[in-house]
Amino acid sequence: MRALGGLAVVVTLVFGLAAGQAFRAADGALARAAANTDQLVRIQAIQTHVVQADADATNAFLVGGLEPAGQRADYTAAVAAASQLIAEAAQNQPADGRALGALNQALLDYATEIEQARANNRQGLPIGAQYLKDASAHLRSDAVPLLKNLVTANTARVGTEFDNARRASLWLVVFGLLTLLVLVLCLVWLARRTRRLVNVPVAGAALVVLVALVLGTVGLAGISRHVEATRSGVYAATLSTAKARIAAFDAKSNESLTLVARGSGSAFEKAWTSSDAAVRAELARLNANPSPSGQQTLPWAGYEAAHRKIRALDNAGDWDASVALATGTGSGSGNASFASFDTASERQLATLSRQTASGLHEAGGWLPFAGALGVLAGLLAAVLSWWGVSLRLAEYR
Amino acid sequence: MTAGRVASAVATMVAVGLLATACSSAGVYKPTPLPGSATAVAASGGGAPATGAAPSTGASPQGTATPAPSGTAVVTANCLPSYAPPAELPPPGQMPPGSTMSRIQSRGRLVAGVSADTLLLGSRNPISGRIEGFDIDLLHAISQAIFGDPDRLELRVITAAQRLPVLEDGSVDIVARNMTITCARWKDIAFSSEYYRSGQKVMVRLGDTTASGGRITGMRDLAGKKVCAPNGSTSMDELRTFPGLQPVGADTHTGCLVLFQQGKVDAITGDDTVLAGLAAQDPYAHVVQAPAFTAEPYGLGIGKGNVDFVRFVNGVLAELRADGRWQKSYNRWLADALGKAPNPPAAVYGRTP
Repeated sequence: MRALGGLAVVVTLVFGLAAGQAFRAADGALARAAANTDQLVRIQAIQTHVVQADADATNAFLVGGLEPAGQRADYTAAVAAASQLIAEAAQNQPADGRALGALNQALLDYATEIEQARANNRQGLPIGAQYLKDASAHLRSDAVPLLKNLVTANTARVGTEFDNARRASLWLVVFGLLTLLVLVLCLVWLARRTRRLVNVPVAGAALVVLVALVLGTVGLAGISRHVEATRSGVYAATLSTAKARIAAFDAKSNESLTLVARGSGSAFEKAWTSSDAAVRAELARLNANPSPSGQQTLPWAGYEAAHRKIRALDNAGDWDASVALATGTGSGSGNASFASFDTASERQLATLSRQTASGLHEAGGWLPFAGALGVLAGLLAAVLSWWGVSLRLAEYR
Repeated sequence: MTAGRVASAVATMVAVGLLATACSSAGVYKPTPLPGSATAVAASGGGAPATGAAPSTGASPQGTATPAPSGTAVVTANCLPSYAPPAELPPPGQMPPGSTMSRIQSRGRLVAGVSADTLLLGSRNPISGRIEGFDIDLLHAISQAIFGDPDRLELRVITAAQRLPVLEDGSVDIVARNMTITCARWKDIAFSSEYYRSGQKVMVRLGDTTASGGRITGMRDLAGKKVCAPNGSTSMDELRTFPGLQPVGADTHTGCLVLFQQGKVDAITGDDTVLAGLAAQDPYAHVVQAPAFTAEPYGLGIGKGNVDFVRFVNGVLAELRADGRWQKSYNRWLADALGKAPNPPAAVYGRTP
């Protein structure tokens, strides 16, 4: 009987710890999901800045050695922002350190080649064009695969933590049911052995465990629902917006490279088409996503129309007019219509990523408190169990 | 009773173990993987060296190398003849119906494959954005002859290796891209009469010496060094015949110059015209002053079936040679680098379709 009492005490104490752990795990997973989401948004911002820099560089190249000051400033700002974010990202996720180091190297190489292209362009030397082409090609062969790996890894980490948060209640349910089983067996055994129907304190312990189990499960299920809603809602919308922006800037670079290649750019135009399809797919996903309320459809169609005009002119042999439209900034030009997409999507991305982060942070505010309550419930049940058993033990003395 | 004790001990241990693992693994992730080729790609550079450098290095047939020819005697003589021009060219804007020229006229523009980075022959002027050079002047003359307007041109920028394919698939009417007339190429395309006689030379770094410290006088002094030439060019074919060199390929000669400036190749070989354009962009490059070791007769490339257009173009070239426009263009682009204008190469006809 002493052993039975010991078992009940140990099991209820373990239940308390498990309940505490369930809430702690949910809390930790939510915090890590938020941190990983921040990192993912950071990586995607790096990618956006990198493709944006390339879009600026390639477009300015079409104008010749005398690149527009605004475009140059835009390029410099994009490279500076990317390099700052790389350092920030490395600080926030040590597991990304090596990949970010390699990315930093690739960005440095890219910026160097672009500067060499500029220096030669300023002197009117054709080798400048070759440096630019190499820079763009190396950016795509070196930096883009690294960024892809970083995005994949961080998306997977967010997914893992979302799953961890949802699975946290497993601790509670498994240990709770086990504890209940032990306590019920204990009650039955005591009833048979002592010919009393119910041992009130042990029954009380079982009741405490049951209540903690039910309340905890309901609470964690709420978290799980919230996490699921965030994941398929604002988080998915954040990802879609970021992906749409990256594909959009890539399309813009490819448009310029098609014109730079001057008649031999069909590979770049093919790349434009697939980037355009990627933008459309993400925009469709955004439209189908009900949770980010108050968002408007991003103005991508305007740029698409400008691109069609640019291609039509070039295909008809009027390269100069095509370049004028692609590099101009008047209404209906490639740059103006693209800028309106850029501005709108940037604003939307900022709003959505803020909503995602705050959604995850707020969801689990009560979790540490609940964890403490869980441990206390375990302690209480343990005390009750021991009390119940010792009552019977006393009768044998 | 011991059973109960054992059970409680086991339960405790399992629980503690689970809790411990749950706490320790949280928030520690596997490092983000690097792409397999990231470091390898970063180590290479230039035009398309990732693909070009590897296969061409060591492709030099060591055992079967022929000695470098001296002088410019080795001309592909049998293949110089082109189709004779008509006695009289049709007046501009009135191309004979059904001819290739009338098709071009009704399209409204002549589509030409050119280089945009071969300074002096065909390169994009970064200030004006226009492509200009000795090769491009010829196209303006042909446009003038067809349309009565020198600027009815659509210039498509192509690489050295694309010169034959774009003519074979009909995506351009004509290629004016410092192309050597060879017998092998006549099998796939047609050539105009010769419009310039170039020859292959080699360019090294200023101050470079041979292994023993002597002056570099030719390809033979470059044993063991990396020498660049564009893929699919006669320069590359020739480069492969020299034993002991490491040939490196790039898309274009400008791609070679990038590799040269980055220290990834030691020398560039190519036609004297092309090398003059490269040397003009880099004061630390030096074209070895020795007679060219090949003869490179330049011709305009035209689709194999468009014999009427070849005849027409030959007619235009004959006019250029006769009325001094050839000299004028030469003096504008090439005289500074290559010296006073020679006589234009004499046209050789006699080919029949």
